Amino acid sequence: LASIARADTAGTAREIQRRKRFHRELTPHLIKGGGHGLRRELRLSLRSLCPTRVGPMPELMPRPIVSSLLSKFRFGTAPLVVALVTLLAGGWVLAHPVHADTATVRLWTYTPEHIKQYEAAAAVYERAHPGVHIAIQQFEYRAMGTRLRSAFWADLDVPELVEINATVGAGFFAGPVDEVGFLDLRPLLESSGLMDRIVKSRLAQFTNRGHIFGLPHDVHPVLIAYRKDIFDAEGIDVSTIETWDDFVRVGRKLRRLPGEHPDGARYILQLPRAEGWGVEIMMIQNGGGYFDAEGHLIMDSEEAVEAIEKYVPMIAGPDRVAGDLGNWAQPMVKAMEDGRTLGFLAPDWRARGFENDMPLLKGKMALMPLPAFRRGGRRTSTWGGSMLGLTKRSKDPELVWDIARFLYTSPESCETEWVGAGILPPVRDAWKLPAFQQHSAYWSNQVPAQEYAKVADDVPAHYMNPLMELAEGKLGEVAAAAVRYYEEQGSTGFDAFVRQHLHDTADVVRRQMRRNPF
Amino acid sequence: LKGSFRRKAAPYVFLLPFGLSFIVFTAYPVVRSLVLAFSITYGPRAQVFVGFDNFAFMFSDPDFYRAVENTVYFTLGSVFLQLPASLGLALLLNQTFLKFRNLFRFAFFSPYLLGPVFSAVLFSIVFAPQYGLFNRALDWLMPGALQAATGITLETSWLDRAPLVMPALILTALWMYAGFNMVYFLAALQSVDKELYEAAEVDGANAWNRFLQVTIPGIKPVLVFVVVLSVIGSFQVFELPWFILRTPPGPEQAGLTIVMYLYQRGFVRGDLGYASAVGWVLALGVLALSVAQLRLAGPDRVRTSPAKRTDVKVAVLPVR
Repeated sequence: LASIARADTAGTAREIQRRKRFHRELTPHLIKGGGHGLRRELRLSLRSLCPTRVGPMPELMPRPIVSSLLSKFRFGTAPLVVALVTLLAGGWVLAHPVHADTATVRLWTYTPEHIKQYEAAAAVYERAHPGVHIAIQQFEYRAMGTRLRSAFWADLDVPELVEINATVGAGFFAGPVDEVGFLDLRPLLESSGLMDRIVKSRLAQFTNRGHIFGLPHDVHPVLIAYRKDIFDAEGIDVSTIETWDDFVRVGRKLRRLPGEHPDGARYILQLPRAEGWGVEIMMIQNGGGYFDAEGHLIMDSEEAVEAIEKYVPMIAGPDRVAGDLGNWAQPMVKAMEDGRTLGFLAPDWRARGFENDMPLLKGKMALMPLPAFRRGGRRTSTWGGSMLGLTKRSKDPELVWDIARFLYTSPESCETEWVGAGILPPVRDAWKLPAFQQHSAYWSNQVPAQEYAKVADDVPAHYMNPLMELAEGKLGEVAAAAVRYYEEQGSTGFDAFVRQHLHDTADVVRRQMRRNPF
Repeated sequence: LKGSFRRKAAPYVFLLPFGLSFIVFTAYPVVRSLVLAFSITYGPRAQVFVGFDNFAFMFSDPDFYRAVENTVYFTLGSVFLQLPASLGLALLLNQTFLKFRNLFRFAFFSPYLLGPVFSAVLFSIVFAPQYGLFNRALDWLMPGALQAATGITLETSWLDRAPLVMPALILTALWMYAGFNMVYFLAALQSVDKELYEAAEVDGANAWNRFLQVTIPGIKPVLVFVVVLSVIGSFQVFELPWFILRTPPGPEQAGLTIVMYLYQRGFVRGDLGYASAVGWVLALGVLALSVAQLRLAGPDRVRTSPAKRTDVKVAVLPVR
């Protein structure tokens, strides 16, 4: 059999037939007897005997290692390839171990604007504290919440420090207090004296069941950033604007509805028609909020009703003075640069964003206080906020607390953060530092830090709850529905609609709050 | 004996990696989620058994009904707009007279390659007011009277007006998936027996009748498959509204879908128990829908009897 299989003869039709017959007849016997190698050689010899090809049989050539290996592996070629690939991949992984993380402290943040400042501050801290290495990682806003939650739940890869948005952070205060992944900072804030140095209202966002789970990053007072050049050209003196009613009166002079002018529509203020943040700013300014200090839901309070009823006619209906031409990114920049949107609700972080996004408006912009609900009333509100949380995973909480204080409250960090990201820190004594006294050519030679600092102590407390994200969404829902109602029905029945809708929506949140068994 | 054991054991050895990963990543989570569905949880450690309370709460939660309503709206839009568009494209690009067919096929298929996140970001700009491509195109196409009648102007912010959010999502999905489904239909069209067309043609059938009587029955198995797949995919829609809306679920929750509702409850608020309950309701709902569709569609195979085909040929031959 072997001699037939390995015959060194030219391929003829007769030979092929002979070998085929042999192959057919002998295969069952070969399988039974375990002669796989021989059977394979028979098959190869048949394949090689193509009528057009004459020459030595491949089997007589030295057999390559791979085919030899293949013939010896009993389970077939595919499993062998899988096994080899697995071995190679496994070997490569073993040969390239992940280097041990040399960081002593890891900081997660969601804000790209902060990274540069933190890296500079971390370098200063590391120089002063040899052996300490601070690693800073940035995550996308929404991804960070998911990633941190997974890390807490799995108790894996939890960083020592987390800078997180207040609303997202509030979601982490749910469940049993023992299960909250952040340390209670109240004792540290009191013993370090920081409690008396920072704007107290900023702690409200991060306080839950008496525990303070975060060090406040900012104050975020809200002013209005406006196109001073156009206001001046139209003869508007912003110092005469004291209340929202004054603002609307001026707005009527400046506005141009669609079709009224070849350059298109123009509005005194950009406000969202379908999102809740515009109403939220006014609700908080008016003394309202989502939750009170005891954690009760108050989003359907009289203050909220008044805020919605003041807000909606500004953005909807024929007498509107505000438009929604773009809150962010390209549409916002274009509308501002074209002079179609003349003003923005601008906390400190947005003001610096304008400088970066709309450099063409340098010298054309200025800041003014928020109009009050009533004469002599509050001229600011707040929008947004972040905290620095120390996770319970920290092996050396004292070191981590020291780093946190350095990053958020040291004079050098506060100055860097203002210059780099335009953040007014919650530490009052920092507002006297030289960086906070600089005039800005962009803001028509105003001192923007002082414009914000003037109203910072008046920023109201903004209490939060783990269901903050739900409450925010619900307020946005009411705002959008109210805008739609006002456009379709006008002021007829508007008050009743707002009250009813707000009450019903708040009930959905209350129902959800009642389900909390922890 | 040793060799025999080896031969018998070999398949199981090769099945072991799949078996293990199936148990760890599929079977165990399914069982665990069923157990979790009867608890209120915060993370994996804090858990309180509540019986059927999660289901009772879900069926009394207006947000859940809003999510179901939106998802059904999106699904209907997908099936009744997307699939005819896909089939139309496939029919067009199956014509031999068309030049650059492969280029067009690739062009229509390529949006699918971008993925829902990129498409969502892209279309959030396309639907922007004033400067968005969509409004600009509509402004150019629509006369003033039509604008006044529809209320859609340059200022219209599609993603900020509750009634326009779902149409915007459906149009984005149409752009993304029409080309993808087209590929299925193209493959099906190419497998339809050409003789049937010839027979129908000589029998006097016009293009519409050929489409109804030959094409549709010929591609029916694929058509049913694509419909079922589209319905399942539409019921699972999440990334598109999540990324296209700046503050999901959008104005008046107009972009809230069932999976987004599940995600918010489970991964934003941390109640994995409630999310599991929602997941089970969704899975059973989709299963019921799929079974119903398959039942309604009837048998998979198109039965064309050889006798009938012969009859047709015989009948028409004398005419020719």
